[in-house]
Amino acid sequence: MSFGPFLFGAPWALLALAALPALFFIMRATPPAPQRAQFPPTRLLEGLRTEEQSRERAPLWLVLFRMLAAALLILAFAKPSLAPSAVESAQGGRTLIVIDDGWTSAPFWSDTRAAAIAAASQAERAQAPVFLLLTAPAIPARDPGEALTAADAKARIGRLEPQPWRPDRADAARRLAQTRGNFDRIAWISDGLNDAGAEALAAELQRRGSVTARVPPSTARAIVSASVTPQGVIAELRRATTGVGVAAIAAETAEGRSLGAGEITFSGDALTATGRIELPPEIAARAARVRIVGEQGAGAVRLLPAGAGRPFVGLVDPGGAGQPLLSELFYVDRALQPYASLQRGGIAALIDARAQALILPDASHIAPTDRAALERWLDDGGLLVRFAGPRLANDADEFMPVRLRPGTRTLGSALAWETPLGIGEFPADSPFAGIAAPADVSVRRQVLAEPASLEEARVWATLSDNSPLITAQPRGRGLIVLYHVSAGPEWSDVPLSGLFVELLRRTLAFAARSDGAGEREIAGGPYAPTRLLDGYGSLALAAPDATPILAEAFGAARASPVTPPGLYERAGVSAAIDAANAAETLEPLALPAGIERAGLGATIERPLSGWLFGAAALLLAIDLLVALMLAGRLPRFARAGAAALAALAALTVFGAHEAQAQNINDPTQNLRLAYVRTGDARIDRASEQGLAALSDVLTARTSVEPGSPVGIDLARDDLSVYPFLYWPAPTSPRRLSDEALANLDRYLAVGGLLLVDTRDAGASGSRPAVQMLAGVDVPPLELVGAEHVLTRAFYLMRSFPGRTQSTQLWAESASAASARDGVASLFIGNGDWAAAWAGSGGVGDRQREMALRFGVNLVMVALTGNYKADQVHVPALLERMGDER
Amino acid sequence: MSQQARLDALALAGDLPGVLLDAKRLAASAPGVHGRRRSGQGEAFWQYRDHRAEDGARMVDWRRSARGDRYFVREREREASQTAWFWMDPDAGFNWTSDPARTTKLRRAQTIALALATLLTRGGERVGAIGVAPRAGQRAVERLALDFTTPAREAPPPPRSCIIFLSDFYAPVETWRDRLTACADAGASGALVLVADPTEEDFPFRGRTLFLEPGGRREMLLGRAEAAREIYADRLETHRRAIRALGAEFGFPALLHRTDHGAAPALAMLISLVAERFA
Repeated sequence: MSFGPFLFGAPWALLALAALPALFFIMRATPPAPQRAQFPPTRLLEGLRTEEQSRERAPLWLVLFRMLAAALLILAFAKPSLAPSAVESAQGGRTLIVIDDGWTSAPFWSDTRAAAIAAASQAERAQAPVFLLLTAPAIPARDPGEALTAADAKARIGRLEPQPWRPDRADAARRLAQTRGNFDRIAWISDGLNDAGAEALAAELQRRGSVTARVPPSTARAIVSASVTPQGVIAELRRATTGVGVAAIAAETAEGRSLGAGEITFSGDALTATGRIELPPEIAARAARVRIVGEQGAGAVRLLPAGAGRPFVGLVDPGGAGQPLLSELFYVDRALQPYASLQRGGIAALIDARAQALILPDASHIAPTDRAALERWLDDGGLLVRFAGPRLANDADEFMPVRLRPGTRTLGSALAWETPLGIGEFPADSPFAGIAAPADVSVRRQVLAEPASLEEARVWATLSDNSPLITAQPRGRGLIVLYHVSAGPEWSDVPLSGLFVELLRRTLAFAARSDGAGEREIAGGPYAPTRLLDGYGSLALAAPDATPILAEAFGAARASPVTPPGLYERAGVSAAIDAANAAETLEPLALPAGIERAGLGATIERPLSGWLFGAAALLLAIDLLVALMLAGRLPRFARAGAAALAALAALTVFGAHEAQAQNINDPTQNLRLAYVRTGDARIDRASEQGLAALSDVLTARTSVEPGSPVGIDLARDDLSVYPFLYWPAPTSPRRLSDEALANLDRYLAVGGLLLVDTRDAGASGSRPAVQMLAGVDVPPLELVGAEHVLTRAFYLMRSFPGRTQSTQLWAESASAASARDGVASLFIGNGDWAAAWAGSGGVGDRQREMALRFGVNLVMVALTGNYKADQVHVPALLERMGDER
Repeated sequence: MSQQARLDALALAGDLPGVLLDAKRLAASAPGVHGRRRSGQGEAFWQYRDHRAEDGARMVDWRRSARGDRYFVREREREASQTAWFWMDPDAGFNWTSDPARTTKLRRAQTIALALATLLTRGGERVGAIGVAPRAGQRAVERLALDFTTPAREAPPPPRSCIIFLSDFYAPVETWRDRLTACADAGASGALVLVADPTEEDFPFRGRTLFLEPGGRREMLLGRAEAAREIYADRLETHRRAIRALGAEFGFPALLHRTDHGAAPALAMLISLVAERFA
């Protein structure tokens, strides 16, 4: 039922509008709740009757307001919708809805779905049966002859999602032809693109009824090819319509993180354009897919199966400096650089670093100490790739897929009958199946396996005489792969050819996953789907029962219901079927005359119930406020609200305040002076007291406000958080432990300040500083002179008094400290300063004051470096200025 | 007053310092009630006058007389201390305001009473709340303020004194007639201070309104309050006139004060009403 541009789904509800006048009188007769007022002279009002009291009514405007809300509710229940140009077919009739549900409809799927639902709604009002014909159905295809009620059809359409392949309209036309009966109305909600079957379908539709085709304003675009190059990721886009246009493409990792984006510009009449996402090769190698930014659809995504995994590979370095082009690992390194994260090192270190695969050239020896670790690592699922060589030929160990015969087989030397051999066809059950064996690669030398041991191992590659070239065998959960030739070019051309890269990549594919390398199906077999695209272009794990694709058919497979697009895996190697293949044609849909053409989204009816319900609810909410206001209760609510808001604000403020609280004893939050614990309780106590006194003086006189001093252990504590470290000489200095030495070296290198105090221990002629610092990388020292920054960092000083007036102070020479802008990090002296600072040991007040001033200067140097050193030049600068005048 | 009662009073008198401060400020701006301005019994010097024969030798002020040839008598100012009693309406409807931002009637009444008490004690008079012993001096005002916070005790009116009633006088006329008759019988006179909230004067209510008496004894529903405004104004006027007539009859002149007006004019008026009593 329609009124002007409005359609009503439940027009009988409108009858309730007739009840509104009754509602009017009821509401008018019901007065609102009285306002309550405290009034002391109420007694004076007693017996009073206002004339109008008996006729007290709700105010007219309030009644009208509530009537409006009621009317809106009634209208909402009548399920109205706005369909300005909806053609109301007078009499009902069989309706056929044809939906192109391929990925080419995904960018505007909501419009497609809404148009289909609108068509079904139209049929619903006419009480007509609905037939659905999908042009890109998943298997099994739905029979278009099945008559649905409009409600069923709507539910079914509501669940429809675009499929990741393109519509097969020829098949749809065939299925339609198998049904009987004509249709009164046919709505074809198309994707706007032509294909081979479009003409047949159009003809079939026209034969069965009058057709209205809905064509979207813009059609889907597709990435028809993408590749990873050293310059980045290159992608080619195709579209159906001409005109200047711009598209953004982005490369993503397998996890969906964006790696980079690029822009593609279509010139006016070009249907294809190529663009590049500039990425460094090591990043580009991680790209797992390219997508058109902001466009949904399986065709807007291109899968790059090679980037799906980037294994962490350890290269076991035999050590020694060989010539680079002859070193065994050089070729492996070059081949794998773009595809794997490489690290060189020893076996134990690489296993500790959690390498997923180890590549062991011939020269690398498996040390007896590494055997247990390697065994364990293999049991846990590691991949060990070995290369043969002269050492292995004579001294094979147990980490082999096969037992080797001693010695090597030499082909094509001056004294041999045999000529160098080429590489044979790769066996069908090998991971290398499908790689064409190059003719120009020859093998001159190889190690041979005992024939009996070949029974247990897998042969992945052979020479042209069927002798094994690459063998593999699981060990525990792991896998050992042996190349029967050397990793360098001495034995064969393999490392020099492009084949080497492909072989290594496919070998390493076994390491790219979390499960063990040896647990994977290492033989060939069909391609099993791992992750499949949906119509919008998102990848989802394939259902366990998804059908695998035979290896022979895979190369020619196009996206279709039987070969859904997505990522497949065979023998550990990923491959992809893309939704849009390289030869994908995209051209606008051509419709024969006689088919009415309408835009998509133009005549979609918009349901209004939701809006009306919302408006009614809003009015009722306002009515509640009005009622509260009339009863005089609103201010109370307003105040309560304000109080709640204030409380919230206060909470926020206090919460923030609390969050700023710091721990005063955390050296990263609060500066603390540090001393080295010598193990002698008396000296440690003196150090602590001295530094505490110095801290007090600093707090009182300078803006440095240190926390309490802290004693540290050179071997264990992290020194980097303490800018100043005091190290008094112990009574009997000992050599430091290795950890302490490393710690101290690092401290001096990062720019900490260490004051070594030999106290008076040096008086006896021994050299305590030499013993204390034995093993430390001590820089050249110089006597601190009158020009040193220490003489003017805070106080101006001429000497550096400690417990005695005459002290000697040495510092790292400015030239040695050039890396730190000339700021010395090591001071060595004999002042016994801690005692002087603490005022113990018979130090006079003046002596203590001078010592404290020295301490203040020293802390200033530790904190501000040579900031005050500029003053050294002040006289010279002044003199120069005078000269200029 | 027992210790416990004093503590209770202090708890009740949460706003006591505020009232006292208001009262002091108000008293400072008032004209004052000082002075008998005649010679009599007292401490303060008033004047020297010539010695008369009937005065006797004892009256001669020798210090003054020694400076001249005549004899002088030293006269002092008369200090006849009187007592002013205050009666504060204990009704819940009196401790009420229509607008939380405005002072309650009770508080305004206390302010006026304490301001008057301040001025009176400065003049040497004694002040007190009915039912409690009167006091003189600076402390008397504070004690009076405390007494206001304790529930008033019904007590016979003190004889021949000045009693100031502070109330909204909404009680029936008969009640007041009884009360004032008792006072008049005891020979007391004084003043009536009618404190009213502006709402009670203007009756600004509109629409359907339920009127509740504070204290919850009475309630009254009016369908259209605006229609009742005229009648209410009439009734209020009649009631006020009756109270005024009653006061005039028994020697208690009445004074109307609205809490939305300043307290100073009311205080000045009150002073003029009671001043002759203390003249």
